[in-house]
Amino acid sequence: MANPFEYNGSAVVGMIGSGCVAIAADRRLGIQGQTIATTFDKIYPMNESLYIGFYGLATDALTVSSRLKYQLNLYQLRENRQIKPKAFMHMTSNLLYSKRFGYYFVEPVIAGLDPVTKDPYIATMDLIGCPMETKDFVVVGTCSEQLYGMCESLWKPDLEPEDLFETISQALMNAVDRDALSGWGAIVHVIEKDKVTTRTLKARMD
Amino acid sequence: MADGTARVKGGFSFELCKRNEMLKKAGMKFPQPKKTGTTIAGIVFKDGVILGADTRATEGTVIADKNCAKIHYISKNIYCCGAGTAADTEYTTETISSDIELHRLSTGRKPRVATACRLLKQYLYRYQGHIGAYLVLGGVDTTGPHLFTVHAHGSTDKLPYVTMGSGSLAAMAVFESHYTPNMGVEEGKKLVRDAIAGGIFNDLGSGSNVDLCVITADGVDYIRPYDVANVKGERVGDYTYKRGTTAVLDTTVRHFEIVSERVQSTESMET
Amino acid sequence: MASVLADKYCSKSLRGILMDGECGPGHEYNYQPLNNSFTVPPGIDPHHFVSPFMSDSSDCKIKFNHGTTTLAFKFQHGVIVAVDSRATAGSYIASQTVKKVIEINPYLLGTMAGGAADCAYWERQLSFECRIYELRNKERISVAAASKLLANMVSYYKGYGLSMGTMICGWDKKGPGIYYVDTDGNRFTNNIFSVGSGSTYAYGVIDSTYKWSMSIEEARELGKRAIYHATYRDSYSGGVVNLYHVQEDGWTKVSQTDVKSLHYQYEEEKNKEIINNEEL
Repeated sequence: MANPFEYNGSAVVGMIGSGCVAIAADRRLGIQGQTIATTFDKIYPMNESLYIGFYGLATDALTVSSRLKYQLNLYQLRENRQIKPKAFMHMTSNLLYSKRFGYYFVEPVIAGLDPVTKDPYIATMDLIGCPMETKDFVVVGTCSEQLYGMCESLWKPDLEPEDLFETISQALMNAVDRDALSGWGAIVHVIEKDKVTTRTLKARMD
Repeated sequence: MADGTARVKGGFSFELCKRNEMLKKAGMKFPQPKKTGTTIAGIVFKDGVILGADTRATEGTVIADKNCAKIHYISKNIYCCGAGTAADTEYTTETISSDIELHRLSTGRKPRVATACRLLKQYLYRYQGHIGAYLVLGGVDTTGPHLFTVHAHGSTDKLPYVTMGSGSLAAMAVFESHYTPNMGVEEGKKLVRDAIAGGIFNDLGSGSNVDLCVITADGVDYIRPYDVANVKGERVGDYTYKRGTTAVLDTTVRHFEIVSERVQSTESMET
Repeated sequence: MASVLADKYCSKSLRGILMDGECGPGHEYNYQPLNNSFTVPPGIDPHHFVSPFMSDSSDCKIKFNHGTTTLAFKFQHGVIVAVDSRATAGSYIASQTVKKVIEINPYLLGTMAGGAADCAYWERQLSFECRIYELRNKERISVAAASKLLANMVSYYKGYGLSMGTMICGWDKKGPGIYYVDTDGNRFTNNIFSVGSGSTYAYGVIDSTYKWSMSIEEARELGKRAIYHATYRDSYSGGVVNLYHVQEDGWTKVSQTDVKSLHYQYEEEKNKEIINNEEL
């Protein structure tokens, strides 16, 4: 039997631009080689400018995302303010590390803007919650090696929202075209301080 | 927590162990947590200790992070380098850091390195090596400079120069040939840099930059990066896609209503 | 020299004899590899030698091009052969432009599923044998005979780790012919075959509208559509649809279509249908 990370197949990327961030994912839900759905969401909005995407076992991604949403709602009610992306990253990291010896098979990508300073933020972590914050891009997925290659060559600093969209979309689509387990469409969220633009892409469906 | 009413409690949760064990029995191949193939090192010099680390984090053969911080804060006068399972080094040092802070607040004394060392070894021994943290602990307290290594099973060493991680052999070779007691700061920094560079260039698990942390009785000088051992080449070609290249099926835009806008700077928490 | 060596180390005779009626009229035809039998390690049982490379639990498993969708069906105007073009190594897509239809000679086609190298090698060998047959018997080999030659060749190496599932398609005196041959030693004939990881999806599409009395246009569209639907559902199939048509005067390559354009073309047709139905 397969590795739980390769059971459903997925690819998620986060990228920083100038005053904006983007998060993109493919839309396939599969069971090993069989494609079950091609409109499956892997990116969950946590608040208006904070998103989290998951790579890994889809059932665990669903559980973790709802647990996080629950914890986040309590936090925002208690504090009466929106959470900072970094604090949310620690919340996620703590949840995953608390299951250090019996883990969820997920690796998240977090992308958002700081609710006060509007600074762009991206982060990822491994399945037991080791945080990794970068200033350029983060990738996870069954085609992470392809994604690293695409992002390393396409990304450059200070991309405007429109250019960031092209960069992240092309990075994702060209990477999943070399992976049998992910693809079948893609969704891209570009988060700016006054709006979020969500686009679905015309992709190869094989 | 699970029933939605109980408060979040500290400590590990083992609720998924049974499920994962079942999956393992069913033949699932299990993924490995992120490891830091690492070179970390430290020396005692004339005025204190110098800790050093590379900045590469790996996942299998892939470099996951090219500039991660492996020198962790324990207290104002104590820092700790971590090798092994990345999440474990992160959380172990964080846990011990808060324990030390609580201890400082209750005793009203400056923390001692030996205290941090004892806390770390007792914590790690309890988990019998399952928490894969391999540490180099260093600091200066009222009794002078101290340098320890702590292994995942809980054993510790106290030495004038130490190395850890997959690049430890390369780094130790540098120390063995060039270390002398009572070195000056600049000489010491250079030596630790050379030791870490030995790991960066000769161990495939280590790479990128050299971070240093110089701890003396007067304070801490955390230099990140101290040396960019691998300068990334300039990208000559431009691979930017023109706007409108990507075919879009559907676009939705959600505008926010900005009620008021204010910019505030955040001050760091008083400690 | 090689054949001498092979005789020395192999316990079985290399001869595979065709049954009466499947060869030329009144002739016996023997399959004899000339200088092309495999050299096997002396003193080691090949079955034992290859087993660690074939087992799923092995770290050094040979990753064959297992994922594929190939199909062939007979109808009143001949044989339609359609295949995808993806090659995978594990989940990595190694190529999207593989030619999975092997042109054995102007009257015979073979399809590729399983090990790409095994298919290519043995079907090239088959092409050679078929030519020899023609020269000896002054007439073309039947599809039945050709497929049996191949079946005999590969079954001689049964257990050696060969991996091949192929359809030998052609036209002979009896009309259109399809034979399924694989490395387990199977050889069957039927009106419809599909082979590979996407075959179940392809069968579903073919079975839904297949008729012997289809027009050429209908049949070609059916072949294309079946491969497209297989590439949509099966991760290990994709790329382009290569479509061949075998008629009395030999095969022709009909089309090569990217499944991306097929997907959006079919999608548009579906939407039009929905609009038309709503108008009704």
